[in-house]
Amino acid sequence: MNRALGWLATSRYAAVLLLLVGIVAYFAISEGSRFLSSANIENLLGSVSILWIVAIGMTFVVLTGGIDLSVGAVVALSGLVLAKVFNGLGAPAPLAVVVTVAFGALLGAAVNGLLIGRARLSFFVVTLGTASLYQGIVSIWSNTQTEYIDSSLIGGIGFGSALGVSTPIWIMLGVFLVAFAVLRWTYFGRDVYAVGGNIEAARLSGINTTATLVAVYGVVGACAALAGVVQAGRLGASSPDVGAEIPLSAAAAVLLGGTSFLGGIGGVTGTAVGVLFIGTLQNGLAIKGVSSFWQQVVTGVILIVAVGIDRIQQSPRGLVLRRRIRGEEMTDGG
Amino acid sequence: MEAEAEPVLRAVGVHKRFGGVHALRGAHITIRAGEVHGLTGENGSGKSTLLKVLNGQLAPDAGTVEGLGRVAGFKGARDALQSGVATVSQETTLAPDLSIAENILLGHRMPRRAGVIDWRATAARAAETMATLGLELHPRSPVRKLRPDQAQMVEIARALSMNARVLILDEPTSSLTDDAVSLLFDSVRRLCDQGVATVFVSHRLDEIFSICDRVTVLRDGTTVGKAPISGFDRDSLVSLMVGASLEQAAHESAPHRVEERTVLRTRNLSLPGAFRGVDLEVRAGEIVGLAGLVGAGRTELLESLFGLHRPYGAVEIDGEPRWYRSPQAAMRDGVALVPADRKLQGLVLGMSVGENLLMASQSRLFRLRVPRPRHERVAVAAATQKLGIRAASQSASVDTLSGGNQQKVLLGKWLETRPRLLMLDEPTRGVDVGAKAEIYRIMREAREQGVGIVVSSSETPELLAICDTIVVMFRGRVVAALPREQADEALITRLGGGHG
Repeated sequence: MNRALGWLATSRYAAVLLLLVGIVAYFAISEGSRFLSSANIENLLGSVSILWIVAIGMTFVVLTGGIDLSVGAVVALSGLVLAKVFNGLGAPAPLAVVVTVAFGALLGAAVNGLLIGRARLSFFVVTLGTASLYQGIVSIWSNTQTEYIDSSLIGGIGFGSALGVSTPIWIMLGVFLVAFAVLRWTYFGRDVYAVGGNIEAARLSGINTTATLVAVYGVVGACAALAGVVQAGRLGASSPDVGAEIPLSAAAAVLLGGTSFLGGIGGVTGTAVGVLFIGTLQNGLAIKGVSSFWQQVVTGVILIVAVGIDRIQQSPRGLVLRRRIRGEEMTDGG
Repeated sequence: MEAEAEPVLRAVGVHKRFGGVHALRGAHITIRAGEVHGLTGENGSGKSTLLKVLNGQLAPDAGTVEGLGRVAGFKGARDALQSGVATVSQETTLAPDLSIAENILLGHRMPRRAGVIDWRATAARAAETMATLGLELHPRSPVRKLRPDQAQMVEIARALSMNARVLILDEPTSSLTDDAVSLLFDSVRRLCDQGVATVFVSHRLDEIFSICDRVTVLRDGTTVGKAPISGFDRDSLVSLMVGASLEQAAHESAPHRVEERTVLRTRNLSLPGAFRGVDLEVRAGEIVGLAGLVGAGRTELLESLFGLHRPYGAVEIDGEPRWYRSPQAAMRDGVALVPADRKLQGLVLGMSVGENLLMASQSRLFRLRVPRPRHERVAVAAATQKLGIRAASQSASVDTLSGGNQQKVLLGKWLETRPRLLMLDEPTRGVDVGAKAEIYRIMREAREQGVGIVVSSSETPELLAICDTIVVMFRGRVVAALPREQADEALITRLGGGHG
């Protein structure tokens, strides 16, 4: 009991998790099997798969104290790359998928990563610029036309299933587990937190902060490209119009999940909860026949409230409360 | 100051708890008009908490604060300020992009004409205030361009401009040059003559003895001594602070041998704008001190040797010519730098004691490798024990530690890399007497193991206590390299001030 209380008081995503449980309970009671049916749950998870994959990648960037506004354009661009490599170059589907994800990683690392990590430009300006740049390339290259991708494998990524669970859900799970393990159990993961916590101290400790930042933007690029592949699979085509709302939704999910926008604190578990919250709200409101615009309104309010809660947690009084619950002694009285 | 001067501010029986920590337990202090009242005690003794109770930032759990027309304390920091309590805190609170004049007169105190700010009068009034401190700075230039010591003086000027009746100076001299300190003391004495009371907090005993009329000593949140300064000498004050005599710890200079092997040698090393023509030699098992004023180029010299700048000239490490372009390159050769600012450059405050301790030594491992928690726990436990780090646990975040313990974590982080050249920039800044002695002990142990050590410090007595050789810098040049036996405080101060 005490442990559970302690966790609730110290965890940075406990509030959103409680809210998630709350709205799940609410929709389950008011809508019953329309909400709780396995078909609907699968539908819910499938509908957030793109957001989930991008937001997991975005978590790495936010942990270093940045944000990547170009992820939406990268989703669209990588869908187009997939179509061009598969249709135009006639590459086999598995190769086309691998090439696309590698392309996303390289693009993120070489452009955003080097400009932010090496040239030390502002992440906000750089990714705002590349968002516009990539979106422009997508429109020119695709002629604003949808390009169909006729591949059973790529279609299977969007709509197939294995062991009774649809492929996008497997991909979500895989991405989450890999990201969780990397952040928790590698030195690279520690570097991400150290760079976000105090980049100067990390650099003076011999950590290659440039490499860390380049890698982090590579990770989010790879995730966005993978999301682009899933998107193309679900549509059976590459569309130049996808992804516009992704950057802000992904950032909202990450921040809802308790990762500090200043960096250094947080993780992908919270992000997963944040994504599920947004997805459940959207799904439940749709079942109730409420306009999905209300989902945006609610997400916005909750995001601000969540940041407010964080503020209270970080205040001196909140710190005292958290320490008391954890039973920690404060060693500094002076 | 005569004992019968009237008290302007008094705190009695003050208790303050933070969670499980009893920061103040029955502290009391009485401040009289026109006196300079020293407040001393080790880190963690409750000085900062008591100051915050005095200036209204914290409400005490028990006890009373009275004076300046209030009988039940202040209703907050704003109320205290309006009643005449002005504070200069350790952390800078200046807005870097505003001008000096704006910073000094911030808070609706800028002169107005016809309802709008009169910039000419603002600049004039700021210049007037700065003149009393001997500050010759352009009132309209931005604060960002100032050196740290100048910024500190601007901060003091702002407090002076508030016409305070009680002025609280919390370690105001830690980034000041000796000249600036004496100017500051002059203005403090002038304020005394006008009946202003000053509360002065410093770790430097010399300063306490030279400026204070009375002292209050805190230990473990309790007032353990209060008397006119004439009732104390150095030793009695220190032993009151730590609760025991530190005599043996401070000056145990066990005989040791300096090896012939040269760890570091520089020839004609120059960095434009910072230092010129520096020849430096450090042997294995030797502690070389760098003395000089703030801005003499000491920090830049250490940073250059660590690969953070691109100096001209030659550097040899262990007899091999070396040229570092990054900290990683310097660390490969066993060069370590403990930076001056532990909060900005030294530690990742949100991360744990263990993670910080191992951060540097693990930075050369392959990044996708998996850390081994059991090995780490053993290594961290050994380090915390050896360094005497007091923390709730290995996983406690570093910002919960006191300043002295944070500094030991920072030092430990670099010892974990097993350096052959250890460079330390102001290793005891803002650290109490007890932690200082432990840091000196750790440095001596490293020396015994044949590490070459360079210490840059603004505190000459510290260099005299631990160094084998003292190199004095003035305006970017080495003006003297003195063996310990030939060095004394007066000589170093004279050389460091450019009077050869």
